[in-house]
Amino acid sequence: MSRPRRDPRGERATKTITAAGRIRLDVALRAARAAASGRPRRDPWREWAASLVDETHRKRYDRSQRQMSREEAARFSTVRDTIEATAISPGQPALRVIEKPAFLVFAVVEAAGGRLSRFDRQVLGAARLLADAGDGGGAVVAVIAAGATAGDAARGDDHETGLGAAGADRVLVLEGGASPSGRSAAMLSAVEGLSPRHVVFAEDGDGADLARRLSVCLGEALFPAVEHLTARQAVRALRHAKAEIGLAPPRLMTIGEDRAKPYEAIPCEARRLDLGPFAGAGGTAARGDDSAILSVEIIPGDPARLSLSETDFVVSAGNGVSDFTAFRALAAKLRATPGASRVVCDAGLMPRAAQVGASGTVLSADCYLALGISGAPQHLQGIVGCEHVIAVNTDLHAAMIERAGLAIVADAQRVMPALLKLLGEAGA
Amino acid sequence: MKTVVLLSDARHAISGRATLSGLEARAISLAAALDPAPRGLHAGGGAEGVSAGLGHGLQGLDVLDLPEGADPVPALAAHLQAALGKNDAPGIVLAGRRGEGGLETGLVPYLLADALGLPILADAVALRQGEAAGTLVVDQAMQKGARRRVTIRLPAVVTVHPLAPPPRPFAYAKMRRGEIRFLPTAEAIGDTAGGGNGSGSGEERPHRARPKLMRTGGTAAGAHNLHVGPEPEEAARLILDYLEANGIRRYGDTRG
Amino acid sequence: MTAAAFLPWLTVAMVLVAAVQIGRRVILWRGGGPAAVDWRAGLTALPRRYLVDVHHVVDRDRSASRMHVPTAGGLVLACGLLVLGLVPAIAASRLYFALVALAFLTMAAGVFLEARRRYPRALPRLSLGRWQRLPVYLGVFALGGFATALLAALGNPLPALSFLTFFAAAAAGLALAGTAATGPMRHALAGAAHLVAHPRPARFEGGRSTDLAPLDLDAAKLGAETPADFGWNRLLGFDACVQCGRCEAACPAFAAGQPLSPKHLVADLAAAAGGGHARPYAGMPYPNQRPTGGAAGLHAAVISPEGLVHPDTLWSCTTCRACVEECPMMIEHVDAIVDLRRFQTLELGAVPSKAEEPLENLRGCDEPNGRRLSERTDFAAGLSLPRIAETGEADVVLWLGQAAFDLRGQRTLKALIRTLHAAGVDFAVLGEEERDCGDLARRLGDEATFQRLAAANIEALSRHRFRRILTADPHALHVIRNEYPALGGSYDVVHHTAFLAELVAAGRLAPAALAGRAVTYHDPCYLGRYNGEVEAPRALLDALGLERREMARSGKRSMCCGGGGGAPSADIPGDTRIPDIRMDQAKTTGARIVAVACPQCTAMLEGVTGERPEVRDVAELVWEALEAGGAAATARAKELEPA
Ligand SMILES: Cc1cc2nc3c(=O)[nH]c(=O)nc-3n(C[C@H](O)[C@H](O)[C@H](O)COP(=O)(O)OP(=O)(O)OC[C@H]3O[C@@H](n4cnc5c(N)ncnc54)[C@H](O)[C@@H]3O)c2cc1C
Ligand code: SF4
Ligand code: SF4
Repeated sequence: MSRPRRDPRGERATKTITAAGRIRLDVALRAARAAASGRPRRDPWREWAASLVDETHRKRYDRSQRQMSREEAARFSTVRDTIEATAISPGQPALRVIEKPAFLVFAVVEAAGGRLSRFDRQVLGAARLLADAGDGGGAVVAVIAAGATAGDAARGDDHETGLGAAGADRVLVLEGGASPSGRSAAMLSAVEGLSPRHVVFAEDGDGADLARRLSVCLGEALFPAVEHLTARQAVRALRHAKAEIGLAPPRLMTIGEDRAKPYEAIPCEARRLDLGPFAGAGGTAARGDDSAILSVEIIPGDPARLSLSETDFVVSAGNGVSDFTAFRALAAKLRATPGASRVVCDAGLMPRAAQVGASGTVLSADCYLALGISGAPQHLQGIVGCEHVIAVNTDLHAAMIERAGLAIVADAQRVMPALLKLLGEAGA
Repeated sequence: MKTVVLLSDARHAISGRATLSGLEARAISLAAALDPAPRGLHAGGGAEGVSAGLGHGLQGLDVLDLPEGADPVPALAAHLQAALGKNDAPGIVLAGRRGEGGLETGLVPYLLADALGLPILADAVALRQGEAAGTLVVDQAMQKGARRRVTIRLPAVVTVHPLAPPPRPFAYAKMRRGEIRFLPTAEAIGDTAGGGNGSGSGEERPHRARPKLMRTGGTAAGAHNLHVGPEPEEAARLILDYLEANGIRRYGDTRG
Repeated sequence: MTAAAFLPWLTVAMVLVAAVQIGRRVILWRGGGPAAVDWRAGLTALPRRYLVDVHHVVDRDRSASRMHVPTAGGLVLACGLLVLGLVPAIAASRLYFALVALAFLTMAAGVFLEARRRYPRALPRLSLGRWQRLPVYLGVFALGGFATALLAALGNPLPALSFLTFFAAAAAGLALAGTAATGPMRHALAGAAHLVAHPRPARFEGGRSTDLAPLDLDAAKLGAETPADFGWNRLLGFDACVQCGRCEAACPAFAAGQPLSPKHLVADLAAAAGGGHARPYAGMPYPNQRPTGGAAGLHAAVISPEGLVHPDTLWSCTTCRACVEECPMMIEHVDAIVDLRRFQTLELGAVPSKAEEPLENLRGCDEPNGRRLSERTDFAAGLSLPRIAETGEADVVLWLGQAAFDLRGQRTLKALIRTLHAAGVDFAVLGEEERDCGDLARRLGDEATFQRLAAANIEALSRHRFRRILTADPHALHVIRNEYPALGGSYDVVHHTAFLAELVAAGRLAPAALAGRAVTYHDPCYLGRYNGEVEAPRALLDALGLERREMARSGKRSMCCGGGGGAPSADIPGDTRIPDIRMDQAKTTGARIVAVACPQCTAMLEGVTGERPEVRDVAELVWEALEAGGAAATARAKELEPA
């Protein structure tokens, strides 16, 4: 725990005894030292530790976004009067509670499949940053447009816990039906009713769509695809990233993917907010294209037929896989897109389009399961963007084992049937 | 089904020359599948750059004369409004989801739809004629390869997503033969003051590259998670647990 | 009346039949596009073109010239003599018939030699079918004529037999004449006419003509879609083919199992013009042939699913001109291929999917890989590389080309730049003003982009004062030297091997000997065949004291590395890759180094995996020798001077 920051000057002043024209220091005057600055003492070591993002090959630090550690944030929050935090008791996570928010910041999240995506968490992180900006005291409202993909899941407790950990003080579920204009009407009444200081969207999919609809409905400028966000300014690129514009964070903005750090300090409350009083208050009629939409149907992605660049989960076979029937069955059962190393593609065991790597496809998937792949540099280049890597390899010293978050030193030919069996039992 | 493709004043990412935006080239190929004679509509200084659309499958191109830097929405809206009143009114107005090389706000189609009072659907990757006359089935791109299939009554504005099928290849002779009509700008309609260009009051300055967040992982469980020589069953268990813990997939009840 | 007395009339009949037949072809040729032909010059040059230029090519295959000279000579002589026999006084002479018999005998000897090439088993590159039966007809005609004339010369002792032999000769002779429009004998007349009306008269008498003709971009139709879109003398040229298969044997794409055989393609184009359904082709099929519809016609599309030729055939070609170099009938395959490509690219946009990207980049930013032109000189950080815009003028403009964007190519360029400094050459680069030379666009049929790039480059060059253009890229060399003039820019362009050879000869460079190493030189097509420069690089290697070993195919008859004509972008799959074949040829020389003189060759040959000789550009070897000779120190000092 950080001690308060020392103030050597103040200390010296207290120890100074002015006597007969000579200035003397009374070193023995220890008790007088409490003239602390009140600011906490910086702990560079801890700051570095907090910005450590990867410790597999060599240490990598990301100091572009300063982030407080959980403990620091907790201590901070106790200092602020508008914020009350439950005391930290060991073994039990603290909860950050903002009873009377000074202002609101909306974070519009998609929560597809009832799960916050990486991008959703970044949107919440950005909103959190804006809520804590300046004097702080703002509350983050996670806005979920129900009827989007998985609005119903948003009502589960499970989900709200996730939202709290991601930095949401409040949760607002909008009932706007499935149509985009319905959603924008609900959004509009929420904005008009709650007057948030900022509304942050993701620059992707429905979030991006909703942001623009809202901007047009409100007649208010949208600051799209923010690339850099601090408490003082929001910056976005334009003209093919040759120019940029920086502003004080505007009211409506969308944020680019991987541009804001997710919130990682102590969980927030994620209290359900009822729009009840506001629901009618907005009253603005939806800009009437509801009637134009005749039907809506969601077609889930079929991982087996998705292109490698689009999928979120790849199961990949290398030279260490010999049973390709089992491999294909496994990919289907895991609902993952099959991939392969070049050696496998060269041998014609998998199509060329399945090749992962520098000369194949560079993935943007969340998860990569590598079976019998050594992890040559050209191959690893293809999976730099994968957050979760699982490796199954007989060689403890393979580079892929080194790269993996879950590394299993075992024979792929034996693990595959075991996985299939387990999945079969699960009825997947 | 008469289709109009909006062509923006795009700039090439490397050379900065006027060019046809890649998204709009995709929009043209979607349009050409619905309309044997899709037309392009561009408001701006000239046809340089956008005329490439003719080489990618447009049959004709209308260019509304507009001074450099002027807001194209009123001119486009006026032109389309007039066209919508006519007999062979366009059913579909296609656009790219973002401009390229300009302000890149992606607001123009929304402002236009608002001015025309048309519904708008974003991020189309496939279009086909609906069963009922005057309807269109739009497949919208969603995360993880999912698609939202929306049937919409026309006329409508639809924006195109980068995952739409690649454009038809460019043929110089088709561009040369394509017909370009230069039209004076009609009286502007609609108010677009609100949306603005997204630049707000900010001044443009040279771009400074900022790193994206690094995606690295596996540290969810904290330490490096290495298992040497587990039984296959145990290994399988570990893998599924990891997948579920990290929210990659759910496989029902795997606890036997 | 003896049987022999009918021989002159047989000749007349044969000529008439052949004339009618060829007349049908002439009508067809007239269906082709217009072409400017200098008839008088062509006709006067015909004997020389035939006896010198054609014979020179035919003679590369000794067994062919040995067979063809007596066969054709005997036939022409016999027929000529027989026409004289229409004069009754001459026909009465026994000596005359002895001469005729001798002519037929000569022909028979030639036919015997030809038959030896085909029986019992034909050379693989030859066509079978009617071509296989040709010596039979010719033989029967020659022997029948010989026996008839001989009997007449002997005073007609066996009249019955002589009628028998005459009838045999007549049957065979008329059969040959009857197929003069579609059969093998078409080559005789079409070949002669082709020599007269050749589309590239400049290539005869030791000349060279390898530039592609600019396309009028305002024409009603761009490029060739149907046979009728070719110039009429091109159609004539396709008809001249003797299906000797020399082009096929030289074709790298054919060797690599890609679906291209220049011989088959020319036969297809000739058949396509004829229309109807194509005559069966009796040569080797296109390797890994793709199925096509097979519909033909003067106005039917050649390259289409229903047509005769699959697009993959068209896009397999590396434009190496090996086929043109080998063709005894002086047929211009590459022109035909590029004309067909132009239609595909400009009218249909039907380029192979992988070639779309470089073309799009060239249209968008003048660089096939989408790189910024200002980054072209980035590789030379730390080297002094003056820009002509700064120096105002220079003796030599160094054209950097595509190599400047490629790590491997940069090594060569650095060696070259250091060498130029060491020799104190006054040079400068265009920097940002240098665009892609347009070679790739042009070979892929995108003439519009080529002409735009060429015009921009000519404009940039016109802004500066210089004497020569130096380049290490034979493709840039070829287009600037040979193809820019038609667009209004004539320059003295020199390849770095020639330039360095000049410097060495003038004593401005003193390379030390790199003795004790064996090297084999791979001729780039665009330097050797396209520009006839095969001596300078060899002279340089010799000056470096290297042991030079030649591959079986070298100089103007060298084999392509597979890198030209946009073939790497088209990337049509085959059984092997062309550079692998070429590298195997290099390996058999036992040399440990393959010397190259083109960035494209370097890239292709370096892409060969496994144990192989080292690939070094001649410029790199020269610099190494200079370093060994101590010139390096002075050059380094120069480098440090500000530009
Ligand atoms: C220019 C260039 C570009 C390239 N681009 C790519 C690219 O894009 N993509 C790509 O993949 N490669 C690429 N490569 C090739 C790359 O260098 C490697 O050769 C290749 O990735 C190796 O594939 P692998 O891991 O499947 O095979 P190997 O290297 O043979 O590795 C097999 C692994 O499987 C393990 N194993 C063996 N048996 C079993 C078993 N029963 N159970 C579990 N594990 C087992 C072994 O321990 C070993 O680690 C490129 C190479 C070059 C030169
Ligand atoms: S094109 Fe020329 S080289 Fe080829 S087969 Fe015909 S005559 Fe021979
Ligand atoms: S130019 Fe070369 S690759 Fe093309 S057909 Fe002729 S020999 Fe073959």
